[in-house]
Amino acid sequence: MSDIDYKDRGSLLNPLKSFAFFGRPAVTEAIEPRPASDNYRGFHVNDWTKCVGCSTCQKVCDNAAITMVRIPGLIADPVKGIRDERPAIDYGRCCWCGLCVDICPTGSLALSREYVHTCVDAELDSYFVLPDSSGMHGQHFEKGWAKTADADLVDLDRQKMPEMEPEQRIGNFAEMLLGYDDQQALLEASRCVQCGMCHDACPTHMHAPEYIRAIWEGKLEEAVAWIYQTNPFAHICGRVCTRRCEDACSIGHRGEPIAIRWLKRYAMDAVPHERVKQIALAGKVDTPTGKRVAIIGGGPAGLTAAFDLAKKGHAVTVFEALAEPGGMTRWGIPEYRLPYDRIDRDIDVIRSAGVDIRCNVRIGQDITLDQLRAGHDAVLLALGLQQGRQTRIPHSEHEKVFRAVDLLNKITANEPFDVPHCAVVIGGGNVAMDIARSLARLQKQQYGQVNVVVTALEEQQHFMADPDEIKEALEEGIVIRDQCGPQGCEIDAAGKLVGLKTWKVLSIFDENKRFAPRYDEAGETIHACDTVIEAIGQSADTSLLGDTLTEALEWNRGRIKVDADGRTSEAWLWSAGDMVNGPDVVHAVADGHRVATSIDAVLMEQKK
Amino acid sequence: MRPENYQSVNHPPSNEFELFFGPNHPGIEGNYALKVRVNGDEVTSARADGGYLHRGFEKLMEGRLWIQNIALVPRICVPDPVPMEVCYSLAIEELGGIEVPERAQWIRVMQLELSRIAAHLFTFGGHAATTGMYTPMFWGIADRDLILDLFEELSGGRVYHIFNIPGGVRRDLPPGYLDRVSKTLDYIESRLPDYDNLLFTNKVFVHRATGVGVLNQEQALEWAVTGPNLRATGLDFDVRRDDPYLVYDQIEFDVPVEQAGDAWARALVRRSELKESLRILRQVVAKLPSVGGPIRAPIPNPLAWNLPAGDVYTRVESSKGELAYYVVSNGGDKPYRVHVRGPSAMHAVQVLENLVTGARIEDVAQIMFSLDACPPEVDR
Amino acid sequence: MKLSPTSNLSASLEFLLQEISGLRSQWKSPRRLRVDLQAETLPALIELLKGRAGFVHLSAISCVDWPAQNEFELVYHLWSYEVKVLVMAHIRIPRDPGIYLSIYDLYRPAAFFERDIHEMFGLFFEGSPDMGKFILTEWDGPPPMRKEFDGEAWVMNQFDWQDYQPGWLKDIEAKGGGITTRPEDVRRDKPKPWDEQS
Ligand SMILES: Cc1cc2nc3c(=O)[nH]c(=O)nc-3n(C[C@H](O)[C@H](O)[C@H](O)COP(=O)(O)OP(=O)(O)OC[C@H]3O[C@@H](n4cnc5c(N)ncnc54)[C@H](O)[C@@H]3O)c2cc1C
Repeated sequence: MSDIDYKDRGSLLNPLKSFAFFGRPAVTEAIEPRPASDNYRGFHVNDWTKCVGCSTCQKVCDNAAITMVRIPGLIADPVKGIRDERPAIDYGRCCWCGLCVDICPTGSLALSREYVHTCVDAELDSYFVLPDSSGMHGQHFEKGWAKTADADLVDLDRQKMPEMEPEQRIGNFAEMLLGYDDQQALLEASRCVQCGMCHDACPTHMHAPEYIRAIWEGKLEEAVAWIYQTNPFAHICGRVCTRRCEDACSIGHRGEPIAIRWLKRYAMDAVPHERVKQIALAGKVDTPTGKRVAIIGGGPAGLTAAFDLAKKGHAVTVFEALAEPGGMTRWGIPEYRLPYDRIDRDIDVIRSAGVDIRCNVRIGQDITLDQLRAGHDAVLLALGLQQGRQTRIPHSEHEKVFRAVDLLNKITANEPFDVPHCAVVIGGGNVAMDIARSLARLQKQQYGQVNVVVTALEEQQHFMADPDEIKEALEEGIVIRDQCGPQGCEIDAAGKLVGLKTWKVLSIFDENKRFAPRYDEAGETIHACDTVIEAIGQSADTSLLGDTLTEALEWNRGRIKVDADGRTSEAWLWSAGDMVNGPDVVHAVADGHRVATSIDAVLMEQKK
Repeated sequence: MRPENYQSVNHPPSNEFELFFGPNHPGIEGNYALKVRVNGDEVTSARADGGYLHRGFEKLMEGRLWIQNIALVPRICVPDPVPMEVCYSLAIEELGGIEVPERAQWIRVMQLELSRIAAHLFTFGGHAATTGMYTPMFWGIADRDLILDLFEELSGGRVYHIFNIPGGVRRDLPPGYLDRVSKTLDYIESRLPDYDNLLFTNKVFVHRATGVGVLNQEQALEWAVTGPNLRATGLDFDVRRDDPYLVYDQIEFDVPVEQAGDAWARALVRRSELKESLRILRQVVAKLPSVGGPIRAPIPNPLAWNLPAGDVYTRVESSKGELAYYVVSNGGDKPYRVHVRGPSAMHAVQVLENLVTGARIEDVAQIMFSLDACPPEVDR
Repeated sequence: MKLSPTSNLSASLEFLLQEISGLRSQWKSPRRLRVDLQAETLPALIELLKGRAGFVHLSAISCVDWPAQNEFELVYHLWSYEVKVLVMAHIRIPRDPGIYLSIYDLYRPAAFFERDIHEMFGLFFEGSPDMGKFILTEWDGPPPMRKEFDGEAWVMNQFDWQDYQPGWLKDIEAKGGGITTRPEDVRRDKPKPWDEQS
């Protein structure tokens, strides 16, 4: 089998043939380091303009060679998911495996083609290096081992949320998104690299990395426990949160961010409600403090504060003007996005902490603020923004011109009203989409066809509304006309509303970034309709304060002025939520926690 | 200088000496030691002494994520690291039910055979050196460097390539890579006559190696000898052919076998395997351009990757013999247990002790090198 | 019956194994047979496999520590050059007192594996030729491969880590920055708030 026979006893002369090598040139190697291969795994380079300090490299490092260092002067922006930290490498530990490169979510990290470093004992510090793009010795070596598409260790694609098709969903208010199944949730959770950017970006600093990890581990109750550490609006935020977390997600730099919101929703839906209640109430103080707190407004801000204070043993009463608690999450957000039974669950948890919620009590009418103050040790105002703003364009006082929130309110209350045959909505935000899509559903139910136009000042790609909302609205047959500035409602001789006149928008802001739209009159359009809906924002109704208190309080641009803890200039009065700090549920929740902490501190101080 | 606490010993009158070979000795492969008793020039007994390279790899692996261990395993056998990477990856893939794309399988075979050539060049150079011939060693190491160049180009690392990963390989081939592989193959092939002249048909070497460290087939089987050492006793067995993995069943190659079971036969088997590996590589080079597709199956985020509970025993034919990994998962993100069965664990302890006993002192080093024992496989 | 490679392999192997009482077998792939059996019956199985089915090659003996069950698992990997099948025979033995029988009489390589397992797990094999230390000659701690031995903690206590003070770090510290997360910090699970409360 072998080409040399085993029986070959060899020859003494054979090696002499090697003398031929004397005639050949010697093999020489240059003293300079040889250039390394294109793919070389040498010392790190890190593009600091791309690196966000997420520390994923540190987590994958098998030799514990990476230390995160905070560098003052670099951009630190939790909202965008950027930290002023960068990885430093201990070359006493690094083994140049390059897993840090393959996993780097932004692609900032690479290994260079530089591979020589020597030093004497006294210079051992030179083994600890903070690489930037100039490399270990500032010599700008070329990149060696760098990220390639087929070698990425980050999964850039999110699990698709199952949803109802437009035809299925348009004629009803059933929830359009169906939620992840177990397998999808597991896969989605497994994409997370645990960088915690989401936690930093979240107004209430939810423990998203922890609950995502718990979901991945199949410990759903633990996930719920993590969620309740910071957010009693758990079901609600699992469905409608504005998810700053996902904007900050490291994976989002090159791919789709982790569906943090849908994972929260999944965990909340997966654990039985009675268990959720037990988990949420863990740590509740048993002995009452004897202190009484009145909270005006049963929205996210008021109820979050109520939940916290009740868990700390205070007697909390919430006064809510409307028939059911939940605030705008119930009376504004349409059912197809947030079913009422999920709101009921969140509220039930809060109630079970001992919070007394009294509905149909409007403070200022049914009970005065003074009465409340007399019976309580602290009062919290969390009124939200209930009044729709008006455009005040000509003829907008017509009876067929409505505010979006008023109509949404009627829809929740199941109050009958004339569903427009043809509606024009003014505004390009989420509220505009909510009313447009709600009306579209009602039209489909009652007339069999959708006839809603949404007009807004901005170009469509700059609408305030969530891109998903716009996409879904279009799917449902809603017409969007962008760059339209409303100029007046058109009324016919009989006094009937027949349309909305708009001009084409040239620019919205002036050079000082102030709101000052400029129009092109030639681009005039009449949008025919029988109803106009204004969805351009809401304002607070603070009439319950009365003249004396309004005088006494300090104000800030039309809002009650509060300090960082939510305390007003009156020692007994706090304020939270949309009326002082917008704009969404999770901010209201964060605010609720803040005021609760402050109220508790003051009350416990009084007790001493 | 004598240490302060040195006490001279009165040796009992005896012709026996105890000699301590190693752990840092030119006649020992790697950091390893052999305690031999000699009577005159004859070894009367021998005990292997390991532990100088123990780094607790198996324990370390239990504390690292599945994927992190790919940086660890090649260190278990420095001269032939690729089988370590592949064998570990095969275990993970079997546990996780991961189908390795065909292209990746061919790329793995390419590395495995390049690694085998590099390892054999290293070994016969070392073997020659133990018989006092140093030029083959220089040649072997210099030529091996050309293969390291290929690895550097492919993986960015010369010795520890860390290139195979559960699911496949980490990068595709660089442009024009196969041409350069072919060139190196041509060169190595052209060198075979040189090696033959200098070493394999060199009367001095043949005489020094013949009849040294003889194992018959029965003994070989009894002592769990594998790989070239087993084939040198006439047993026609090769894991690649008889318990195939990757795409070896699509490749044509012969399994060289010798009969005599001595150091010379073992050297010849390796010499013939060089040619077979070249033959395999030619087929890989011809085949790879037509095998498209991905280089890695999708794997989960390494930071959140649980493998189903279970255990698996994977093995490959390394240049030294049967290399196996026993991997246990308890369903977690790290191995619950990894047991590395290196071929040298057999060759460098019991077999070595047995073969050295009765041998002449000047052959001890040759016997160890002719077994191609790799101490880190023993120590792990 | 003597097994031959031409016979219907799986059937005849399974038939042979029926001689061992309480044995469960499962083909994991065409060449891998997993066998679970009582520790007392292992010697009989091994004798059977070696004597009558050509399993002359002891590829390895692996040990797995299962402290929760207070057991060691021993896995004997046996290969037959004739029928080209690997049998993995699994047994469990109590962790206390941790004694089992050597199979050195049948398989010489067992001496190495048994010595290794003794050294790393503290499991004693009666009848094995040498249970002396081999790798850990200077170690007097517990058998390190046991799960309760925390290698990383030992290393952290044992060694002084290089305390680097490079100039760049001093500059950053002077500006108010500095190290935020050391690698050690991410290698341990963070405590959970509700654990602290209780
Ligand atoms: C149509 C619409 C859609 C929205 N969609 C989203 C979304 O998808 N995601 C998101 O995060 N946010 C959304 N928001 C914003 C979000 O609903 C609010 O930011 C949040 O509800 C504010 O909480 P709050 O507690 O401050 O106020 P509110 O929720 O407005 O609650 C205030 C409560 O106080 C009550 N109240 C007011 N005055 C009195 C009084 N005198 N006496 C007793 N009770 C009184 C009100 O009836 C109300 O129930 C949406 C808002 C609207 C209008």
